[in-house]
Amino acid sequence: MLYICIAILAGCSIVIARVINANLATRIGIFQGTFFNYVTGLAFSLLFLVFSNESFNMSYTTLQSIPFLAYLGGLVGVVVIGLSNYIIPKISSFYLTLLIFIGQLGMGVILDFFNSHEISIGKIIGGLLVLMGLTYNLVIDRADIPVQNKKQAY
Amino acid sequence: MQGGNAMYKLLSAFIGALIALMIPLNGILAEVIGNYNASVLIHIVGLIAVIIILLVGKFKIKIRKGIPLYLYSAGAIGVFTVLFTNVSFSTLGVSLTIALGLLGQSITSIVIDHFGLLGMKAVKFEKKKMVGLLLIAFGIIVMNIY
Repeated sequence: MLYICIAILAGCSIVIARVINANLATRIGIFQGTFFNYVTGLAFSLLFLVFSNESFNMSYTTLQSIPFLAYLGGLVGVVVIGLSNYIIPKISSFYLTLLIFIGQLGMGVILDFFNSHEISIGKIIGGLLVLMGLTYNLVIDRADIPVQNKKQAY
Repeated sequence: MQGGNAMYKLLSAFIGALIALMIPLNGILAEVIGNYNASVLIHIVGLIAVIIILLVGKFKIKIRKGIPLYLYSAGAIGVFTVLFTNVSFSTLGVSLTIALGLLGQSITSIVIDHFGLLGMKAVKFEKKKMVGLLLIAFGIIVMNIY
């Protein structure tokens, strides 16, 4: 049960961090916000490393042995946070979560296909169900907007 | 969707695609040098990239007063995400961790939207949307059980 809560908390923390960071970005700028995200993130990563059971493992030879591609994850992260800072004030938090999830899922299926040349049927059926649910809720939103406008008109 | 358009939706899905690319890349790094070392290295690479962007774009960083301190905490919270994920991965496995994480994300976003927390515009939750939510939850379960 404890671990179930921790896994749910991981999800909560993702959304909270995203919204807080975007809030900062609207006040000081998208890239400036991303900058502070990495400064505090690096500080806490270092703290965690010190208190973890891992030893510092970044000698020149170790760093050279890492495939170059693996370094690109950090760069992609910057694009993700920069784009999130831009988009969050413009879209509802719930739909952002779902749309990100759909993009993640679609790319996941493509990557899986390139890795194993297999398409996961479960992921596609599940993904379609998620899409159906999302579309249903979007239709409810659409139906609501004209009603609100009419009220304002009177 | 109130106040959104197709371009924003496409960009949101694009962010998701990037995350799907990022996770295995960071995973390779973590396998070679360990989770916490990887977290440090990822932040160093990211920080260097942001500094280059700031310099090239000639963006200025002004220390402004009146910004609540908690707004600077996102980076720290992100590190907690990594920690939580690592802990639950090791006991619950990949699929369950992802499914429960999505549950946590959905609940948090709905609460933030409904009450307009953390400076977000309030978007009230309608009971009719439960149908869509249940479909989404069911889809997530199917994806992870299969």
